[in-house]
Amino acid sequence: MNVVEVTNICKTYPAFFLNRVSFSLEGGKITGFIGRNGAGKTTTIKSMLNLVHTDSGEIAYFGMPLIGHETEIKQRIGYSTGTISWYPRKTIHEIVDVTKTFYTHWDEEAYRRYMTLFNLDESKKPIELSEGMKVKFNLLLALSHGAEVLILDEPTSGLDPFSRDELLELFTTLKEHGVTILFSTHITSDLERCADNIIYISHGEIRAACSKDEFMENYGQPGDTLEEIFLRQEREERK
Amino acid sequence: MNALLKKEMRLSAMLLTYLFIGFGLMALLPGYPILCGVFFITLGIYQSFQNAREANDILYSTLLPVAKRDVVKGKYQFVILIELCGFTVMAMMTILRMTILADSPVYRQNVLMNANPFFLGMVLLIFGLFNVIFLGGFFKTAYSIGKPFLIYIFAAFLTIGLAETLHHIPGLSALNAFGFDHIVLQISLFLCGILIYAALTWLSYRKACTDFDKIDL
Repeated sequence: MNVVEVTNICKTYPAFFLNRVSFSLEGGKITGFIGRNGAGKTTTIKSMLNLVHTDSGEIAYFGMPLIGHETEIKQRIGYSTGTISWYPRKTIHEIVDVTKTFYTHWDEEAYRRYMTLFNLDESKKPIELSEGMKVKFNLLLALSHGAEVLILDEPTSGLDPFSRDELLELFTTLKEHGVTILFSTHITSDLERCADNIIYISHGEIRAACSKDEFMENYGQPGDTLEEIFLRQEREERK
Repeated sequence: MNALLKKEMRLSAMLLTYLFIGFGLMALLPGYPILCGVFFITLGIYQSFQNAREANDILYSTLLPVAKRDVVKGKYQFVILIELCGFTVMAMMTILRMTILADSPVYRQNVLMNANPFFLGMVLLIFGLFNVIFLGGFFKTAYSIGKPFLIYIFAAFLTIGLAETLHHIPGLSALNAFGFDHIVLQISLFLCGILIYAALTWLSYRKACTDFDKIDL
């Protein structure tokens, strides 16, 4: 069953446009969102969070259109990015204490569990955290309100191999608990490990949206890795 | 207290904003343009906006399960709260100057504006200008604070200059009334200040909601 439906979204910027982007996210699966820098991944993700106004098209979660049900939907989804740090000079405790008041399903037990798992210290401030720890803190906020859909923009960037491995394992566990994950990255080896489906975007257009196995079969050659397929596609695109 | 106002107070605000409420005490200064106290209070609010921008506060707030319009509401609630705290301090100092300090020579011989209900009306007018120019201006982009604040500085000091000049114009000396002199006129001007503040803030809020809704973050 699809829990997220993105249908024909278009967005025009002076030097870039998103052209009729459509895909869906299957419930309880991890979907890798790949594309080179500037391909449209972040614009798509921002559209899915209603941070960017699309020119046309529709986005729906759990069968409800985002427009008109934004508050209700945001209670049930989580967003994390590796690139932004929130309130760098406030302690984690202060940020969490305020944030949890917005969520009706805030899970204090899950919060404590992930704090321990991620080795985060509540008295620390985001400015004192390494890039990897910032990613974990962002993830902690998303995971503690029992999000059914996680939208993760470059969640593994800046993480050391051990932390990345830990995180990928966590994604797999979350998936087993029915959480749907959209995972944008250019570290394709991460997707090889945990993704069920692949969405490939290039120049603002979706080139493929299918299962990982289908993607490997349709676009790859025997023995190819995801990265090799991705690079070949981009080179062909350039020609 | 609602969650957004709590967020504004605990995460977005700077300590300086709260401390600058104390500039309301400037209403007690003799021989000083006491309306400048309003400017310092708004300068304190500006510091919080600067801090909030560096902390990616607007994006964070928009990602929370609230409508975009509520993000605007939270900011307005916070600003109004600080303004009302500053106004309360100034009103208390004004009452002091109108009652037990009414005949104090340092205030009687003061060529500058006196603290009276007209002064409080002007306080509200300047806060209203801040809400329209700075707050409304901020929500056109949700990041630009310098330009709207500069325009506000110009408008605020022009208003302060005007308020300081008015009572020197022949026939307008009642604006600078001491104690409870010309109280009907004074209260009427104060009520006008309340109405102007409420109207400017409401219009600015409505426009800010519309502007912010159109912005891509």
